[in-house]
Amino acid sequence: MNAWLTVGALLPVLLFGAVTTVEVTAGGFVVATLIGLVCAILQRLNVRPVRAAIAIYVDVFRAVPVLTQLFIIYFGLTEIGIRLDPLPAAIVGFGINGGAYLTEVFRSGIESVHQGQMEAAQMLGMTRLAALRIVILPQAMRVVLPPLGNFAIGLLKDTALASAIAAPELMFRARTLVDQTFLATQIFVAAAAIYLAMSLPLGYLTRRAEARLSRGRR
Amino acid sequence: MTWDIFTDGMPELLVAAGGTLRMTAFAFLLAAMVGLVLALMRLAGGFAGRFAFLYIEIVRGMPALTLLFLIYFGLVPAGIVLNSFVAAVVALGLNGAAYLAEVYRAGIQAVDPGQREAAQMIGLRRPQVMRDIVLPQAVPVVLPPMGNYLVSLLKDTSIASLISAPELMLRSRDLAGTYYLPMEYYLLAGVMYLIMAWPMMHGVRRLERYFGRGRLQGGRT
Repeated sequence: MNAWLTVGALLPVLLFGAVTTVEVTAGGFVVATLIGLVCAILQRLNVRPVRAAIAIYVDVFRAVPVLTQLFIIYFGLTEIGIRLDPLPAAIVGFGINGGAYLTEVFRSGIESVHQGQMEAAQMLGMTRLAALRIVILPQAMRVVLPPLGNFAIGLLKDTALASAIAAPELMFRARTLVDQTFLATQIFVAAAAIYLAMSLPLGYLTRRAEARLSRGRR
Repeated sequence: MTWDIFTDGMPELLVAAGGTLRMTAFAFLLAAMVGLVLALMRLAGGFAGRFAFLYIEIVRGMPALTLLFLIYFGLVPAGIVLNSFVAAVVALGLNGAAYLAEVYRAGIQAVDPGQREAAQMIGLRRPQVMRDIVLPQAVPVVLPPMGNYLVSLLKDTSIASLISAPELMLRSRDLAGTYYLPMEYYLLAGVMYLIMAWPMMHGVRRLERYFGRGRLQGGRT
């Protein structure tokens, strides 16, 4: 029982790590969303080489483990003289990896909007890009939001891998504390509880947003 | 870039890729079986249902890495010392079971309730109804997401390198450190994952298309 009290005293260190976890998640999420959105729109413009390049990007980055991608970015790039700190490396790694997933998500969202919408918008004199931005994307959000929320939850948990490149997030703090105190059970249980405390509300919010958006739809 | 990487370490990497595949297969089997039990418990309701619900929510809410460390390091004080490969299989399997339980549940609930009622009407017992009538019809719904899970499991085995389980990522880390060629060896590992995962991804896509035939597509562009 004593050991659990010790963990109570160490909790601030873990919570400090949790803040970094949120930072990595948020950073990775923003980068991934930007990449996904841009790629989905570029794909839509129907330029053949661009389409092919994006298709390869999506397939390759989804077929390789994130951990491998993090190692390539953090350790591999040093060979060609690019040294990233753990935190930016993690954000870039998760962002590029997530971008591949979100490209598919945004693509299916855009495709779910009826073609007539684009035609009507163009009839009104909008350019394709303007029509996408003003007419298509807002309607695509209905389809996109649930998988986007699930992606955020998955990303939150995946950031634990950033501990392998020494980014000072929750899992890294937990591992460091275990090395110092040997209280593996207590500290990893505490870390798991903190992850749960972050991911469960995120899941709840996603489900609520989903329910709200599907209101009035069959 | 140097071509030596193909002679220094390629055999080791291939052996390690075998370890990755073995770990994937064992963890998949464990996840598929435990997941089915959890799904049936969840549908049965009562105490079993609540337990399954809690298990699924808790395991899905934490990183696989945390579960892995809990099982590998966290059980040692309790006197349970697992070797790293077994710990990885157990952790990935238990983690996947929570996902597959939800997949199975969705599949079972997708079967028309009339099927169950009709089977009971002709005198089949409940376990028979589940085994012979409901589960076979759930297969087409369940198979594509199971395939997706298999692909992500293959990639997730890479985290087992963090507890030094013998698989592809661990070996490429060793080699990258030994020869100080991180870019080459991690890229090579990436390519090997790609070679393993890509056919699976396309198999799943074909499965999805096959089972998605004849479904309503709506006003797609």
